[in-house]
Amino acid sequence: MALDALPDPIYLLELRSTRTAALELLLLAVAGGTLGAFVVLRRLAFYTHAVGTATFPGVVVAEAASFSPRVAALGVALAYAGGVERAGRRGRDPGAEATGLMLVLALAVGTILASDVFSSGAGVDRVLFGSAVALSDADVAVAAAAAVLALVAALVFGRAWAAVAFDPGGAAGLGVPGRWADLALLAIVGACAVAALPAVGALLVTSLFVVPAAIARLVTRSVAGLVAASVGVAAALGLLGLYGSVWLDVPPGPAIAVLGAAVYAVVAGALALGPARTPREAPA
Amino acid sequence: MDLLTGPLDSGIDRRALAEIVLLGLLCGPLSFWVRSFRLAYPSESLAHGLLPGLVLAALAGAPLILGAAGGVAVAAAAVALAGRDHRIGSDTATAVVVSGTFGLGVLLALRPDAPARLGELLFGDPLGVSGTDLAAAAALVVAGGVALAALHRPLAAVAFDAGGAGGLGLRPGRVRLALLLVLATAVAVAVQGLGSLLVLAILVAPAAAVGDHVRSPARAMAAGAAVAVGAGVVGLYSSYHLGGAAGASVALALCAAAAGGALVRRFVPPAAPASA
Amino acid sequence: MSAALEVRELAAGYGGDPVLTGVSFAVPAGSSVCVLGPNGGGKTTLFRALAGQLAPAAGDFDITGRPAYVAQAAHARLDFPVSALDVAVMGSLAGRWWLPARGRDRDAARAALERVGLAGSEPTAFGSLSGGQRQRVLIARALVQDATVLLLDEPLAGVDPASAETITALFADLAAEGRTLLVSSHDVEGARAFDAVLCLNREQVAYGDPAAVLDARVLETTYGRELILIPESGGAGGVRAVAVQHHEH
Repeated sequence: MALDALPDPIYLLELRSTRTAALELLLLAVAGGTLGAFVVLRRLAFYTHAVGTATFPGVVVAEAASFSPRVAALGVALAYAGGVERAGRRGRDPGAEATGLMLVLALAVGTILASDVFSSGAGVDRVLFGSAVALSDADVAVAAAAAVLALVAALVFGRAWAAVAFDPGGAAGLGVPGRWADLALLAIVGACAVAALPAVGALLVTSLFVVPAAIARLVTRSVAGLVAASVGVAAALGLLGLYGSVWLDVPPGPAIAVLGAAVYAVVAGALALGPARTPREAPA
Repeated sequence: MDLLTGPLDSGIDRRALAEIVLLGLLCGPLSFWVRSFRLAYPSESLAHGLLPGLVLAALAGAPLILGAAGGVAVAAAAVALAGRDHRIGSDTATAVVVSGTFGLGVLLALRPDAPARLGELLFGDPLGVSGTDLAAAAALVVAGGVALAALHRPLAAVAFDAGGAGGLGLRPGRVRLALLLVLATAVAVAVQGLGSLLVLAILVAPAAAVGDHVRSPARAMAAGAAVAVGAGVVGLYSSYHLGGAAGASVALALCAAAAGGALVRRFVPPAAPASA
Repeated sequence: MSAALEVRELAAGYGGDPVLTGVSFAVPAGSSVCVLGPNGGGKTTLFRALAGQLAPAAGDFDITGRPAYVAQAAHARLDFPVSALDVAVMGSLAGRWWLPARGRDRDAARAALERVGLAGSEPTAFGSLSGGQRQRVLIARALVQDATVLLLDEPLAGVDPASAETITALFADLAAEGRTLLVSSHDVEGARAFDAVLCLNREQVAYGDPAAVLDARVLETTYGRELILIPESGGAGGVRAVAVQHHEH
């Protein structure tokens, strides 16, 4: 498998499509990094992957019906967020089984619709893994809205989200509006994941919303530090991943995911092999 | 009559049927233990994480089962390693590993000069099963079945009461590890028919369809086998007659079985347990 | 009489510093020992170490055969589809786990269930039984194992008084036939009926004959503020101790 020569970054920035993609990814990094910090603190990584995947059949149908795929995806994401919150409130965690089956259902329905009903097979790669060249100004605008939404939400709910992460039982006693904060987190993560779909695809939302925050979590201690580092890492991964995706002619989603996981491995490995850390507490 | 015999006419379809039946016979019973030991998330992670192995095998023209086996081994090791950091939590660490390995598989498969058929690796390709593939699958299904039979009593003892199992002469850690090995084997075999993204269905849906009100593990496993094989056959037949993708049709039938089982239990209360 | 269980300077924990240290005692065969201590004081840790679940952080122990560990009944999965007979049959696993249960294994299980007074409950789902019945099934399993040493972790917790009486009588039976029992409990008064008592509070506080060991000082060291000491009425001196019970989380 011969690799092409590395493209010149300056040249890439002169291309409108890559400029758009770079801007989009920077904005998505703000959303993904900010929310990712809380996703990691609240152990919502699987939920984040699930909410992205769930939108797949909705997008396929919308594109075939010339309906706005963004709106369809948003509808699915918010419905899923609501369902998860309701199940969680009733104390019945939907569980990995139900979630897993739901994802299989979404993917099976989506692929049958795409390949056998609508014959949109060629576009499935783009829906699942994103695209660096097919991004429009509307996508960038949506990404900007997501960035703003994420920042505002973090300012409003950030403390509540962090409090519940560290002490779920005690947070209610502190007067933190637990239920609304929970629903807000799930819904806003869902909405911003929808904003990221055109760039990274339905299956790799975690590349921006989980992996950068996980890397940041390895090296930061405070919540504010985690948010800042998470955004920074997400931006770097997004841009470098975009560069790699253009160079290798693959979608951005996988490129960012692979790069992110590699960086995580290096950082985690360096920490594990480095000087002795503080002793672990005994497992509960 | 063509309704029933149509798929039996061509060699391709006969092999696909045989493959799906074989998968059902192993994964249906195994599904009970996946449920008892709460292995749905690890199963999902193994299935996604093995993709690079599959892609490399496809690129090299090697049997997919080899790629799946290698991919599963690497994915399992990576997840085990990553799960060690307590600050991150094993769920998040697993998500990072899976994103990376899955992304790597996609990346390798979507390179412009790569002929790998990513769609079939993701969503399954029962119709692409060769005679050799079928023989390998049969061998592994038999091996997995023998392992489950031998492990039956230890699995029940550990699932019931891991704390007391030591006194019975068992090491719960080793029993779980043995189960994970069978699970990894099942995933590697089933991924050819159902694909990396859909294989979870055959490991989770049968036990979900059967439910928890069973009299014994053996009965649950038998019922699971029936559900898995039944749904598999229904899925293949509907794919043949309606034209949908074969792997996805089987996955849909399995999901429908799980939903059906849950619905039946909601409206038909389980038989009252024998009084003390 | 040889010791069925001998423990020497045992320490055990869960990864960091040991949560239990300095445990040394020897139990002759056919005795019953009551293990007292507050929650978190190390009773379960000791049992798990003796059962082989935890590697000792320090010290060692000798034990006859493989001990049967009847963990707190709440930890057994109540929704797992096994009948009382199935659970008792599990006792015949050792050494032949890959083979199905034989006819004589089932017979041994039936006999054990009859011995604990549950002959009629063989086919009943384990989860449908009462707390006391579940404890007895687990003891039946230990009998099928033919364990010489039984470790019973709070077997009377949450059990109705009638079942508790049956179970306590069973303990006497088992000890009489030469088995050795370690029973952890919160019942300080009930401990006086045992052959020996072991007091733990993150370390060994005392071991020996209850009449000699269970004085106010030992109880206070063991339980700290969890204990309520009521002077015996009737001028006989002595102290009646009531341990404050907590529910396990």
